Amino acid sequence: MKKKEAVCRLLLFFVIVCLLTGCWDRQEIEDKAYVIGLGLDRSKDEGKIKVTMLLANPEVGSMQGGGGSTEKPREIVSFDANDFIAAKATGNSVISRDISYELLKIIVVSEEYAKDKEFIRKFYDILKDKDIRLDCHLAISKEKASEYFINNQPKMETRPHKYFQFMINHGIENGFIPDSTLFRFFKTLERGTDFFLAMYTTAAMEKNPQIKSEDEYMAGQLDATGELDATQFIGSAVFRNGMMIDKLTGQETRNINILDDSTNIHDILVDIPDPFSDDQLQFAARVMKTESNKVEMDLKGQRPKIFITIPLKIEIISNPSMVNYTEKKNQQIVKKQIAAHIKTLNEKLLKKTQTKFKGVPYPLSMYARKYFGTIQEYKKFNWGKSYQKADIHVKVDVEIVDYGKRIKKPRTVGA
Amino acid sequence: MKKKVLKPLFKKLNAEPQFSEESNTQDIELKKQDISSNYDQNLATFKSIFSIPKNIDIKVREFIIGSLDRRAFIIFISTMVDAQSIQEGIMEKLIGNDQPSGKIQNITSSPSERTATNIGEITEFITGGVTALFVDGDTQCYLFETTKITGRSIEKSDNEVIVKGAKEAFNEKVIDNIALIRKKIRNENLIVEAKVISKRSRNDVFLVYEKDLVNDELLQTIKDKIASIQTDRILDLSILEQYLEERPRSLFPSILYTERPDRATSFIEEGHIVLLMTNSPSCLVLPATFWSMFHSPEDHYLRTPYGNFIRFLRFQALFVAMFASPLYIAITNYHVGMIPPDLLMAIAGTRERVPFPSTVEILMMEIAFELIREAGLRVPTPIGPTIGIVGALILGQAAVQANIISPIVIIVIALSGLSSFIISDVSMNFAIRITRFLFIFVAAFMGIYGAIALFVPGLFYLVSLKSFGIPYFAPMTPHFISSKDLIIRHVPMKERFRPGYLNPKDTVKQRKG
Amino acid sequence: MKQQPGKIGIREYLSIAILMVGSKVTEDTPTALFQKAQNAAWMIPIITAAFTFIPLFLLIKTMSLYQNKNLFSVIQKLLGKYLGFFVCLLIFIINVFSISFDSRTYTTIIRTFYFNRTPIVIIYAILMGVCAYGAKKGIQHIGSVAYLIIYYAVLLLYLAFVLCTQDSSIQSLFPIWGPGKLELLKQSSLNLSLFSEFFLFALIIPSIASYKDFRKGTWIALVYISIQLSVGIIIFICLFDASLKGIGYPFHTAIRFISIGTFFPNIEILFFVIWLMAALIRFTAFLYINALMFGQLFKIKNFEFLIPALATIYLLIGSIPESPYDLSLQLKPILRSVIGPTFLVVSITLWLVALLKGEFKHEKKRGSM
Repeated sequence: MKKKEAVCRLLLFFVIVCLLTGCWDRQEIEDKAYVIGLGLDRSKDEGKIKVTMLLANPEVGSMQGGGGSTEKPREIVSFDANDFIAAKATGNSVISRDISYELLKIIVVSEEYAKDKEFIRKFYDILKDKDIRLDCHLAISKEKASEYFINNQPKMETRPHKYFQFMINHGIENGFIPDSTLFRFFKTLERGTDFFLAMYTTAAMEKNPQIKSEDEYMAGQLDATGELDATQFIGSAVFRNGMMIDKLTGQETRNINILDDSTNIHDILVDIPDPFSDDQLQFAARVMKTESNKVEMDLKGQRPKIFITIPLKIEIISNPSMVNYTEKKNQQIVKKQIAAHIKTLNEKLLKKTQTKFKGVPYPLSMYARKYFGTIQEYKKFNWGKSYQKADIHVKVDVEIVDYGKRIKKPRTVGA
Repeated sequence: MKKKVLKPLFKKLNAEPQFSEESNTQDIELKKQDISSNYDQNLATFKSIFSIPKNIDIKVREFIIGSLDRRAFIIFISTMVDAQSIQEGIMEKLIGNDQPSGKIQNITSSPSERTATNIGEITEFITGGVTALFVDGDTQCYLFETTKITGRSIEKSDNEVIVKGAKEAFNEKVIDNIALIRKKIRNENLIVEAKVISKRSRNDVFLVYEKDLVNDELLQTIKDKIASIQTDRILDLSILEQYLEERPRSLFPSILYTERPDRATSFIEEGHIVLLMTNSPSCLVLPATFWSMFHSPEDHYLRTPYGNFIRFLRFQALFVAMFASPLYIAITNYHVGMIPPDLLMAIAGTRERVPFPSTVEILMMEIAFELIREAGLRVPTPIGPTIGIVGALILGQAAVQANIISPIVIIVIALSGLSSFIISDVSMNFAIRITRFLFIFVAAFMGIYGAIALFVPGLFYLVSLKSFGIPYFAPMTPHFISSKDLIIRHVPMKERFRPGYLNPKDTVKQRKG
Repeated sequence: MKQQPGKIGIREYLSIAILMVGSKVTEDTPTALFQKAQNAAWMIPIITAAFTFIPLFLLIKTMSLYQNKNLFSVIQKLLGKYLGFFVCLLIFIINVFSISFDSRTYTTIIRTFYFNRTPIVIIYAILMGVCAYGAKKGIQHIGSVAYLIIYYAVLLLYLAFVLCTQDSSIQSLFPIWGPGKLELLKQSSLNLSLFSEFFLFALIIPSIASYKDFRKGTWIALVYISIQLSVGIIIFICLFDASLKGIGYPFHTAIRFISIGTFFPNIEILFFVIWLMAALIRFTAFLYINALMFGQLFKIKNFEFLIPALATIYLLIGSIPESPYDLSLQLKPILRSVIGPTFLVVSITLWLVALLKGEFKHEKKRGSM
């Protein structure tokens, strides 16, 4: 048994030695600098990119009683680097703590860089860093990303991650911006048959904003004044094979979100032209999409035919023409109007995608798959080409849930 | 060759220490003999054995038995006997007896009577509180049970507190303890066997079991184990527990130690064996599995939904007590991405001013908590609450204000400390607290990977523990027939079988229908 | 109801089987299957299970002749001393490489996803150390521990799958036949190594309480595992679509991505815990079976003491490939293509030899006498 004891003791020494050196991955939580937002711009140097980092200050807003801290809630750093993984190391010459991408929530790419062919090659590096999670969002900014972060100064959210979290979530729920996570970006890229929509945002307002209909804005066009932060998140950028080709307005984005079953939009408030008024009044309605669309395709023959049926539940909220909705006749008119309006909008949009973009910005090709037996047949069909020739019909199944409260006309005084 | 050289070398190094002792052979020889029929000789022998009159509480009462007209003396230890019963049952009857003939058995009216002849045996009985009667000319000595030991009365259980159910606890008098068990199981097959262990103090152990339920092999194993103890004294049941265990150095207990009679009786009814001892306000239940230590009688006394709720709570408490601090260390040091961002910012913000790394923080607080806990147990009652408040104030508020520790560490430590109180078994409690420290070290070394790398071998170790031949996690694994009362407790109507790993003679508790 | 010492019941056997083979869905096997069969890869486990049915059935039939002997004794008895020894040695060496490569894969997963800077030797050493300790305890304890955690492991696995459905689209499964039915069949037959562990289970027959338990357990395990593998692959295909080709370890990528609501964005640690426990049990069982093989080959009775030494050898072999790409792209496919046919051939050969030698007739005679 002496031998056994000796061996045991040796092993123990060995283990202790390991413990002395060990803990290789250990890092104290306050030792890190957390990057909330990352900005990518084209750099003046060939082959490099300009990386902007938005860092959060954990002390601000964390202690209940208020730490009495006079530090700023965030820190923004911009510099040139080869790629944003090496940027972590370079950044440490400016930033005191160890940069970590664990809390990265949003990656903002400037429009000019997104239109660059080189963009996708650099962007693929994102998958290599294990810290960056695939549910991080991708946004395109009109101006340079470095300026975007500096101009973005939310007045009510002192902690930057909260601001982006709220803005993005609510924007997606409203349907104004697409759910553009890295996960979907790479999935669409690998699939290769559809286009990808990324959120569009800006912190600089347009010089002379026009007043358009409720949703036909793109980011920066909404004339919002007052004591607020100028950042806006509306509309989307269309990506083909990793390169940005065009933009869509908020309304078009919302239509795509309705067509796309894989987004989770909650109820949307829309404006629909009132059929009962003569002077272009619009009434507000709440659109709820609770079931998935039905897509049927007839893919044989020269021109493939696609039939999309969208089931929508509508709740009429406002009633500017003071119509009495208890009459069946009025109900029918309104129903037809809504269906026709949405149908026209969608068909117009899809036509635009067929001709201008030459591709569909949401995974419509998935519906086509079930008509083929094997992958080879599917490849022969070549969705990309066939879509441009396709004949698309959109039908809207409207079910009006509620007509709104006020039905009677108000009395006029002195009548 | 090597062995021949090494063995004597080791023997020399590990030799038993030799002491110069006085020889006791004379006394031992004396005790091997029988008593004589000579009155004076007996008197002298016993006076010398007991060192009378130096020993003031050993009394010798000489008298003449009226009817038989012979000299007799009784010898007893006054502090251990019931003087009343001696007087009524023995003295009065003997002295005041008129009938000329008759055996001593028929004269005395003491409820229990026995005879013995060996001096050593008689001495043992006298030290146990038995009164010995020596009659001139009689080679036998008459022994009467007159033991009356003073001690606490039956009180509420202090350590195993339950809300619903009987609140009695064992006390130091073994008579009371046996009575408590007997009144719950009124069966003639309930056997209380006595065995004397230890040579100098002659402590006796009582085995309580039901003859027609318990497995004979198991019983024999336990009896052999008890008989093999060669020591001078075993003062308390807890020390006996350590002698009996197969792995006394293991962290986890393999014998159940409880102070509640209702627990003891429920185990007897399943086929276990219970050990009692004088001066121990508790009993040992063998064999014991992990489940016997983990379940509490309250699970069964409460209605099924409530009992299961309490049980889940206890499971949660087990995990929280063992893993809360190690998880905190592992997650904040190695897996930071797991924390929701708001919480992460909060933790990072408060930790900025703390000078110590989080492992050191947790260790400090854990040790402080253990100190408070032990101190709280022994604090005199008048100032108890004050100390509690001071402790909470000092260690909690002030430490955070002074930036020695961050507030979330206090929450983690408080949670884990409080949860460990839910496990009522004393040994298991310590086991969990100590393993928590082990886990803290491993989590600091390798994060979650380290914790799992300790947990799985820990599971292997636990599974290989055996308590008198029964695996520690039986009947869950290896699988045996049982009442299926492991994680979820069913309605009593469904608990039909006794645990199969005990091999009881009657496995069915309830017949169907 | 006395339990024989050292034997495991059907519950423990099933738990070991499910943990050993079922955890294949959590490493790089789905990607490997996806490479050729693409979005019909989920059919492969089911078809392969059907293919494995016949050799397995034959093997069980052969083993039923010698009810208390394990696979190696039977091989040596049927095929003679020298040929039997050679075949057993071949199986042993294949398994050595299998364990080394698999453990290296798991170590790589842990290193890539969770512990970036730790040297791989340390992770490997801890893995092997824990498994060696467990294996030394014997098959009964391995079975007990497996039974203790099986319920939670399976439950959490399915929880992960359910959470993945939030972001998946079932249309990714179409076109249904993927690269074509013929290609599918070809791939299935090439991937027989998916179920090769079932042949290893024949080695622990003596430790199982009754032969009927072994038979029942094996069939239940086969059916259940093929379903679990298929469901897992379906979930991954629906979640990742065409990008599954490039993702080396889909399970871990998936658990980094899924979330429960918005308040618990990253719950990967929960699944990491259970995955790690399943992995430890898997290698513990493997180590034990391999040591058993070694003991049988060279007639060593107390083979448990060999386990630490053998574990070190696996560690050294597993450290040979320098990068994980070598491993999954070159070495593992070679191994896979060797294992499958080997076991197929061995089991059919055994049955044929037993048939030819008239063992079955002997069995009938014995039975009728």
